[in-house]
Amino acid sequence: MTFEAFRKAAFEAALAAGCTTAETCFSEEESFCAQVLDQQLEKYTVSLSCALGLRVQYQGRNGYAYTEQLENPEQLVARALDNARVIENTDDHPMMGPCAYRPVALPEDPCAGLSEAEKIALAMDLEKQALAADPRVDRVETALVETGHGTLRLDNTLGLSATRQDRFSLSYVCAILKQGDQVQDGAAFRVRGEVKDTAACAAEAAAEAACRFDAQSAAPGTYPVVFRYDAAADLLAAFASVFSADAAQKGLSLLAGQEGQRIASEAVTIMDDPFHPYAPRAFDDEGVPSLTKAVVEKGVLKTLLHNLKTARKAGVSSTSNASRGSVGSPVGVAPSNFYIVPGEKTREQLLADMGDGLLITEVSGLHAGLNPVSGDFSLLARGMRVENGRCTVPVEQITVAGQFLQLLKHVRAVGSDLKFGFPGSVNIASPSLLVDDIKIAGKDLAK
Amino acid sequence: MIRPDTAERVLTAALQSGGDFAEIFLEDTEENTVHMIDDKVENATHSHSHGAGIRVLTGTNCVYVYTGDTGETALLRAAAAAAAAVKGGDILRPQPFVPRQYGRAPAVPAAGVDNPRRIALLRAGYQAARQASADISQVSANIRDEDQRILVCNSRGVFAEDRRTRALLAVSAVASGGGEVQTGQQSFGFGKGYEGFDGADLAAVGRKAADMALTMLRAPECPAGQFPVVIGPGFGGVIFHEACGHSLEATSVAKGNSEFCGKLGQKIADKRVTAVDDGTIPGAWGSLGIDDEGTPTRKNVLIEHGVLKGYMIDLLGSIRMGMPVTGSSRRESYCYAPTSRMTNTYIAAGEDDDEEMLRTLGEGLYACSMGGGSVNPLTGEFNFSVNEGYWVRDGRILCPVRGATLIGKGSQVLQRIDRVGRGQTLSPGMCGSVSGSVPVNVGQPQIRVRELTVGGKGEAL
Repeated sequence: MTFEAFRKAAFEAALAAGCTTAETCFSEEESFCAQVLDQQLEKYTVSLSCALGLRVQYQGRNGYAYTEQLENPEQLVARALDNARVIENTDDHPMMGPCAYRPVALPEDPCAGLSEAEKIALAMDLEKQALAADPRVDRVETALVETGHGTLRLDNTLGLSATRQDRFSLSYVCAILKQGDQVQDGAAFRVRGEVKDTAACAAEAAAEAACRFDAQSAAPGTYPVVFRYDAAADLLAAFASVFSADAAQKGLSLLAGQEGQRIASEAVTIMDDPFHPYAPRAFDDEGVPSLTKAVVEKGVLKTLLHNLKTARKAGVSSTSNASRGSVGSPVGVAPSNFYIVPGEKTREQLLADMGDGLLITEVSGLHAGLNPVSGDFSLLARGMRVENGRCTVPVEQITVAGQFLQLLKHVRAVGSDLKFGFPGSVNIASPSLLVDDIKIAGKDLAK
Repeated sequence: MIRPDTAERVLTAALQSGGDFAEIFLEDTEENTVHMIDDKVENATHSHSHGAGIRVLTGTNCVYVYTGDTGETALLRAAAAAAAAVKGGDILRPQPFVPRQYGRAPAVPAAGVDNPRRIALLRAGYQAARQASADISQVSANIRDEDQRILVCNSRGVFAEDRRTRALLAVSAVASGGGEVQTGQQSFGFGKGYEGFDGADLAAVGRKAADMALTMLRAPECPAGQFPVVIGPGFGGVIFHEACGHSLEATSVAKGNSEFCGKLGQKIADKRVTAVDDGTIPGAWGSLGIDDEGTPTRKNVLIEHGVLKGYMIDLLGSIRMGMPVTGSSRRESYCYAPTSRMTNTYIAAGEDDDEEMLRTLGEGLYACSMGGGSVNPLTGEFNFSVNEGYWVRDGRILCPVRGATLIGKGSQVLQRIDRVGRGQTLSPGMCGSVSGSVPVNVGQPQIRVRELTVGGKGEAL
C-alpha cells in the first residue's frame, strides 16, 4: 500500500475509533557504504527502507505504534489505541497544527553526486593514503565511505503536513601502527566535501595512533586538564539530558528549577541552534518551527530544552526540541545542534595557560562510567602529560573523575577549535576546554 | 516467510554475476514496551519490524543489501543490486534446501498478553522500589517483550527458521537527600514467553534497585589507585565480556586485531579460569536456536583452566581463519550483516570460598554490582563501572563507596584472577558492536583480581 493510502486509512480509522487526533511520522531512507580492505571492496552495503510511526490521542492520552510494513492501517491504529488507553500520565500533549517554516537549504555536499564507483575509489584511496601516512602503519583496520539521504514527513489530522530532507556523506579510517611490540590504533573521519581530502584524513588517523606509543600511566591526584574538543564533546553529549525539561520535570536532572542561575563558569556559553549550517532543519520532530537559543549564556542557565508537552506543563513555549529516537518512539526531548561557543584561544594557548597538567584526548565507557542523574563521572581516559605548556609523554590507563556541573564551573578557558562529530539528528560539539580540579587515578611509576 | 521456490529464485539472482555464497535473512519482529515513571504509566509502544537482508560473499568480500519490502519483486531487485556489486567469476547454483525448524512457540506468547497484564508485572517491580524508603525520590521502570521470527536460507542448502522470544523488566531508582542524588538499577530478563515471569519475585528486583540507590546515597567517593578487587557474581561477568570476550570474537581475531591472536593452546589466564560461551541454555536471555547464519548454537569452551581453547567464529571469520563456524553469528536486525558475537558468556564455577576471598583481601574494593563497560580489542584496554561497591580493609567491609571505575588490559586481568568462587549466575544485558545491539547474558561466580586500577575521586578512607 502506498504511504498516502495508508495514512489516509489510518487517520479515518483513528477518528472513527474515537481518537481526537492522529499523526504519522514517516521516513524513507537510502544508504550506501563501501568498506575497503587490502585494496579490495571488502564490504558493500546498500539499503532502502521506510518506516512509519503512528501517534493517536484518545481522551487526552498518547498511544504509539510503529511498522515497517505498510499493509494493515486498521491494525496499527488498534495497537496505538490499546497503548493510549493504558496511559496514566494526563499531562496535556498538544499536537502542532499547520504552520509556515523558514526555508532551509541542505548543506552543500560535493559527494552527494558521486557515482558508486567514484565512492569506492575514494575508499580505496583512503586506505592507500593511510598505509603511506607513517612508516609504522602496519595495516588499515577500516577504511570506508558512506552516503545516505532520507525524507521525514509529519502529517496529522489537525492539518500539519511538513517534510524535511537530509543527506550525509562521510569517510572514516582507522589505522593500526606497530612500533616494536606495541600496537596502537587511531581513527579519523571527514564529512561532505572534505571526504575527498583522503590524505588529510589518513594523516590524522596515523598521527592519532603514533602519539600513543610508549605511553605511561599517571600518578593519582588532582590536575588541571585540557579536554580536547572531541573528548569535551563526548562528555557534553553524555550529560546532555541534564538540559532536558522532560528529565527536569521527572526529577532526573540537576538543573531542575535552575533557570536564571549560574551553573557554569563565565567562559561557558552553550547554544542550541537547529539552523546551524552543520545540520540545519526547519522544524523539530513534532513540527514546531526551529528556534535558535542560548541555553547557557556566560555561565547562566537561560532555558531548558522543551517540546510541546514539557512547555505546556512549565507554562512556556516549546524551544523546538521535540525528538523521536526513531519514527516509532514516543515524542521526547533532545538537543539539535548543541555546542559550547568557541573562544579565542588555540589549543596550544590553552596548554600554555595550563602550564603543567594533562591533555585528555579520549574518554571511554561513556555509556556506563557516568551518571546523568547525579552528574558523576569516572571514565577511562588517555592523552598527554603537559609540562610547561608542552605535550611530553603519552598517558594511558588513567581515569578522569568528577561531577559534570562542577566541571562546568571549573572551566577556566574555552578554545577556538570547535568541531562537530558524525552528522546525525542530534549533533553535540565543543571546543577544547581548560578545566581545573579534575581527579585522576592511575599508577605512580615512581613508587 | 517466503516459500522455498521464491528463495531459490532470489539466491539464483544474487549469484548471477558470480560469488561463492549467497544468503537471505528474513525477519519479522514484534516488540511491545511499557514505561512507568512518576508513579504513572507514561508511555506504551508497539513496533513491528519487517525486512530482509541479502548477502553475497566472494572470498572474504561481502556485499549486503537490505530492504523493508519482502515481496518477491523487491527481493529479486535487492538480489540484482547485490549481484551488480559482485565482480564476475563462476556462476554457482544454489544447493537444494534442507528445511529445518528451530525455536518453538512459547507457552505464553507476547501477542496473547494484554497491556493490563504487562502493567501489573511492571507495577510489582515499580512499587517495591518506590516503597523502599522516603528517600526514594523517583522510580522509572520498563517492561519490554520481543517476538522475533527469522528465516535464513543460503546457497549451501540451509533453509532454517527460528523464533526468539524474550522479555525484560528493568527498574531504576533515584535516591535523594542532603543535596545528593544517586541511582540504582536492576533488571530481570529471559529468553521465553511471559511464562518466564511465573513465580518471579519482581518486587525483589525493585527493592534491589532502591537499596542500591539508598546505599550509594550515604557512601563516600571511592578512593583511586591500584587495589585488589573482589567482583560479585552475575553481572560481574561483564569483566570477562569486556576484558576478554570481545577479543575472542572472530570480528577482531580474524584480521589480527586482537591481543589473543595466535594464542590457541597457550595459557592466557590463571588456571582457575574456565570460560564458556553457550547459546543453547534453555530459556536464557542470550540463547538462540540457530545463529543468524542458520548454524545451530552450541556450547563453546573459550578458556579451559587458563588455556585458550577457542574463538567465536562466524562464516566470514571461518573463511579468514580457516577454522569451523561456532554458531556465534549475530545481528541486531536485517539492517545489519551478521558477525561473530557472544550469547551467554560466563566464567564457570570454581572452588574458592566467597568469604575467604574477602577475608584475605587486605585493603581493596568489593565490587558487588557492576554496570556496563567497553573495550578496545586491539590493545585490550577495557573499562567498566561499579554500580555498588564497598571498601574493604583488613578483610572486613568498611563502608559503601560510590563512583568507582575499573580499568585495565584484558590479558593482564585474566592472569591476575586469583580466586574463583563456586556459585555461578547469569545476568541479562545488551551488547553493542558492528552488527548492532544484541541481547547477551554475562555471568560468573564471585571472583578476585589481585590488582586493578580503581578510578574514583575520593581520598583514602
